[in-house]
Amino acid sequence: MLIAVSLWIGLSANLLGAPADKEAVSQQTVGKSIYETHCAQCHGADGKGEGVGSALLNPRPRNFTTGMFKFRSTESGSLPTDEDLMAAINNGLHGTSMPDWAPFIKGDSLKQVVDYVKAFSPRFQKDKPRPVHVGSPVPYSAASAAAGKKVYAKLQCADCHGTDGAGTGAVAKDFQDEWNFETYAVNLTEPWTFRGGATARDIYLRFRTGVDGTPMPSFAGAASEKEMWDLANYVVSIARKPVWNMNENEVKEFYSKLDAQEKADPVQRGKYLVRSIGCAGCHSKYTDDMRIVEGSQLSGGLTFDLYPFGKYVTRNLTSDNETGLGNWTDQEIKRAITQGISRDGRKFLPFPMPWAAFSALKEDDQNAIVTYLRTVPAVHHKIPDPDKPNVFTYLWGKFKMLVLKERIPAPAYPMKEPEDQQKSVSQNLSGVDKNIAAHDEHAKVVQR
Amino acid sequence: MKKILKWAGIVAVCLIVIGFIAFLYLIPPFDLLPREAFTKPHAEVVASALEKIDDPVERTIAQRGEYIMSYSDCSDCHTPQGDQGPNWNEFLAGGAKFELRNIGTPYSRNLTPDPETGLARRTDDEVKRVLRSGIFHDGRFFHPTTMPWPGFSNMNEEDRHALVVYLRHIKPVKHKVPEWSAESSDALYLFYPYDYAEHEKK
Repeated sequence: MLIAVSLWIGLSANLLGAPADKEAVSQQTVGKSIYETHCAQCHGADGKGEGVGSALLNPRPRNFTTGMFKFRSTESGSLPTDEDLMAAINNGLHGTSMPDWAPFIKGDSLKQVVDYVKAFSPRFQKDKPRPVHVGSPVPYSAASAAAGKKVYAKLQCADCHGTDGAGTGAVAKDFQDEWNFETYAVNLTEPWTFRGGATARDIYLRFRTGVDGTPMPSFAGAASEKEMWDLANYVVSIARKPVWNMNENEVKEFYSKLDAQEKADPVQRGKYLVRSIGCAGCHSKYTDDMRIVEGSQLSGGLTFDLYPFGKYVTRNLTSDNETGLGNWTDQEIKRAITQGISRDGRKFLPFPMPWAAFSALKEDDQNAIVTYLRTVPAVHHKIPDPDKPNVFTYLWGKFKMLVLKERIPAPAYPMKEPEDQQKSVSQNLSGVDKNIAAHDEHAKVVQR
Repeated sequence: MKKILKWAGIVAVCLIVIGFIAFLYLIPPFDLLPREAFTKPHAEVVASALEKIDDPVERTIAQRGEYIMSYSDCSDCHTPQGDQGPNWNEFLAGGAKFELRNIGTPYSRNLTPDPETGLARRTDDEVKRVLRSGIFHDGRFFHPTTMPWPGFSNMNEEDRHALVVYLRHIKPVKHKVPEWSAESSDALYLFYPYDYAEHEKK
């Protein structure tokens, strides 16, 4: 009898326990599967922020393994709350490529994704988030904004964000974040690019909590509660109109000002063009599963097999004298970009290098691109000349295209480098890995 | 007499063969096409559509968008190629095919504002989300080697807006592009720049 009772208890315990376990497991798999279909392409399956889409993004996708997050409602250096992470996923981070996931990740699954993201960093098991106490807000008024302007001067915000708040302060050059990626002072006049949101409370939280991992500190000790609210109201007050709310005169004035601005700072304009066109999407080295090798951006290496015309490898656009554009004149670079004629007079095919599209670039923008490419650090990466086919292959290929009407594809794949070069690449890469690992002990723990 | 005929025949055959080879060698595509064949659209296909916009604000923004579209090279993938260069009457109407190992076979989409087959079915936010984050209107993800959105994500929001305004005003083309299929090839990346859309029988 006793045995029967104990058996029954054991069984029922099992029966009671089983569903709870299953639920936990299924919750984790829901979080995992959503993460893998929606998040991993940028943040990586291992949460390190190195997904297939990550190499060209500015700012880079967050590395979850360090447990450090920029946009929080918690003390500087503390973990974010679940609500902070949910808000980032729901609303996206404006001005970055993190989209608003609200239409796609709904209800309970949002919480499960958050749990899955938190599991990447052991910090979440050891520490608890320390939310800041948000005092009573100072409602918006002209007086409060005017007081905020004084706080802006007192806290020396202009050093980075500029006296006009446009993010062009004297110090705001070559900023790097904790992950060794480029970062910048935010333009405070464009609230639609505020990653953590644009309400006075959101802006207040940025001063109060700081933006961890970037040069933006917390001003918790340096300014009083009221001063920070005044400052938030000031930042709200300097917002300019976005182009989609402008009237005829405003939009014309805006574009002519923009034109002048672009001419005045060719490096910045060139960088914007080179990045937004995505030059590095082709002019980079790729791994065998079509990921850009970190650090190889703009140094060339993707092969296009344009049968029957030959094999073309994308060129090295960095300022290296021997293998890059270092020895090209401005005129030669512009001719290659806009007319598809190489330095030695060879003509490019009409694709994949879209020189025909670039022929639409204004003279100033061409100059800006050249000016920017001159500033790209030299990478020594020798690219072989195009591999032209013999005349028979060429004729047979054309026969197939024109007479047999065969649809011939243009394949692309990573260039196979000679072995000694491969070695140096893998050495460089392991060096990068070491840097990242040394950067945070937690990363190593997760790897194990 | 017979000998002369025989020789004449041989010479004729040789001439035909040589002529055919010369024909193959000298005729386009694509390396011998006049280079203007690839640069035509910006003046002819595009600008005229924008002049018809009534709202001066929209027109000014759309002109900026047109410039961004031109240098961003949307038309290289979204305008299919024929034997004589791009089919300009299908400007930005999509239809080119990609085959990607482990990913599937996407087709470049119809970007014209056609209500049945084009972008008129999508909201501004949906279009901008594609350009910013590579997320399709239904939540699917574009691999960056097809739609190069990681580059376009570096565009600022106002330029992205201008591009969308521009796309709303180009000539609509009814051009039904095949749906994304899960079939994938063994090759890493294949791009077929031809037109794979369904065409209405005339």
